[in-house]
Amino acid sequence: MAASPHQPQAFPPLAPVVLVTGKGGVGKTTVAAGLAEAAAAQNGRAVLVEFGDGESGRRVLGASRVMHRVVEPTKALESSVARLLNSRLLSKVFIGNFAIKRMLRAAPALRELAMLDAVGQIADEAQGARVVVDMPATGHGLAWMRLPVQMRDLFGSGGLYELSERLVHRLVKPSQCSVVVVTLPERMVLQETLELCKGLQEEVGMPASRLVVNRFPRGLSPDALVQARALAATSDGNTESARRLVEALEARDAIRREALETLGEAAQWGIGVRPLLIPLAEQDPMASAVAQWLTREKAA
Amino acid sequence: MTFPTTIVCAGGGGVGKTTSSAALGLALARAGARTLVVTVDPARRLASAMGVQVGPMVQQAHVEPGLEGRLFALMPEPRQSTRTFVDLLFHDEPEALQRMLDNRVYRLLADAAAGMHEVVSLMLVARAIEETAFDYLVIDTAPSRQGLDFISYPGRLATLYEGRAVTWLSNLAKKNDSDGEVRSASGGLLAAGRRRVEALFGRLVNPQTLRDLAGMFAELAIVKERFAHLARVSEALLTGNSTRYLLVAAPSGSAAADVRFLARKLKRFGQRPRGVILNRSDAVVPRWLMSLQQTAMPKELQEALQVVGTEYEARVRAGDALTRSMAGHLPHVEAVRMPTLELRDPTRIVGTLATQFGAHLSMLTGWTATPAG
Repeated sequence: MAASPHQPQAFPPLAPVVLVTGKGGVGKTTVAAGLAEAAAAQNGRAVLVEFGDGESGRRVLGASRVMHRVVEPTKALESSVARLLNSRLLSKVFIGNFAIKRMLRAAPALRELAMLDAVGQIADEAQGARVVVDMPATGHGLAWMRLPVQMRDLFGSGGLYELSERLVHRLVKPSQCSVVVVTLPERMVLQETLELCKGLQEEVGMPASRLVVNRFPRGLSPDALVQARALAATSDGNTESARRLVEALEARDAIRREALETLGEAAQWGIGVRPLLIPLAEQDPMASAVAQWLTREKAA
Repeated sequence: MTFPTTIVCAGGGGVGKTTSSAALGLALARAGARTLVVTVDPARRLASAMGVQVGPMVQQAHVEPGLEGRLFALMPEPRQSTRTFVDLLFHDEPEALQRMLDNRVYRLLADAAAGMHEVVSLMLVARAIEETAFDYLVIDTAPSRQGLDFISYPGRLATLYEGRAVTWLSNLAKKNDSDGEVRSASGGLLAAGRRRVEALFGRLVNPQTLRDLAGMFAELAIVKERFAHLARVSEALLTGNSTRYLLVAAPSGSAAADVRFLARKLKRFGQRPRGVILNRSDAVVPRWLMSLQQTAMPKELQEALQVVGTEYEARVRAGDALTRSMAGHLPHVEAVRMPTLELRDPTRIVGTLATQFGAHLSMLTGWTATPAG
């Protein structure tokens, strides 16, 4: 990616744990891996946490110093219960019980709480290395951040209450945890992202520390559109083609303009200093390229 | 009640699945089928493109003239859907409804991060098809690899209900709260193991939560039959003989890997994909672009044309790679390549995509036009 021509104003530093969230398909894994890679370059060590099979993270990281931790949701649940009961065996007995198992399947929230617990555990073990979490695409980013408080209030006391309370202090605190929101420039996605940013600030008290817009189309000279319209206004054989070009240039221009306007609105929801625009390239970049770019933008 | 043919669209995030589902619904309606489009990931802009609102009721869509009474949409709001469902379950039991709404365990499930919304949306559909006959249902799923997990939920919820698990859990909750003896659903050899689990349960949650849990099951028991019926209908919609699963991909990020994952998951459910839709996978650079490349024009426009051209060429290459990947991993599944649409107005996007789908309607949906007369 090309170096920016301006001297970027530095962002406030990120907390030790960074949660990267956004709709499915926006490029969370790319940004998360880039943040981890940048942290590893600065401090020598960093952890990238993924849920599921970790395939996308592995692909984007390539050969890297970053420690890649993959958390399987069912195992996370078993581990959390084992910690609460002080016994892995008892945990297996409990979760394996025919009725409990069915109840757990009907309440995904408990599995999600366990996933956050796994993040907390990894953060405790990280000893100063930055922990970047590629949040799952399922579930609204806001729902994840609300979960510890909801569960704490629901349980009131007991093992699960204590776990929830621990997570509130470990993760739902701006000094401990930063939220990075990733989006695409398309209007539908951006609108939803704005709602997310607003919710993060108002409902959870965790305003987004960075807002990253992925695959942002390159700007073109404004003269080009004027010239294209002039070409379309002629009545030679290429009029129809020129009209299609005008349409394409206008669409592109509109996406950029509307995105920038919408992002301007986002600023009122406490997003860092300014949105970060990753340019559209033929293929999604590797973590090392994103890391270098983030470092140049003083955003890592 | 005649069952509609169900089309389920699955795919990773950012592939245009929701728009494609709407477009498929529109194509079916244009062909004469009475169609209901259901989205679980509603976007307000898409809702307004279809002339409906995000909400729990089935509404007639208004996309273009000439479709009166044929195209409908259901776009439940994730944070409202459980409330809607509970309202309809407890329709005749207002006191039980209120107790349920006040129940804290219910409130936990109602606002869960994921999972319940899809099941509830499906049950709303189950209710809708009891009231109106549809030829087709097009169901959009969550944009992730977990998007199909809910296929097994209705069945699981129904068995939770119909089996001993609920009785046992409900007793468990009561036992930890009161001093009474529990009557296990089956005693003897299993009793000792069960008692141990009861004790563990008590260590994890507090008495109030257990009371709430028991209370919730007690309320649900009142409407047990309706619940189980809706769950079974939902399950039948997803696993019926005429149900078709379509996978959607686009050349970006992990979309191809997501589709492969979902295909494997379908196999585990005893299903298979009937078709793959490849969005933004232009087969060729458009002719208008190529003809302009031969045309003389000012420098800035030339540069702009070059940038646009490079992007199109990249999309064709990516589309080719995606098509090859699909052919390699899903060799017996027909893939349909869709071009990128340089349109911003969602109504036009849905309309144009629907026209493109029209040419492949039979393959994608099994729809065959009834002869006139």
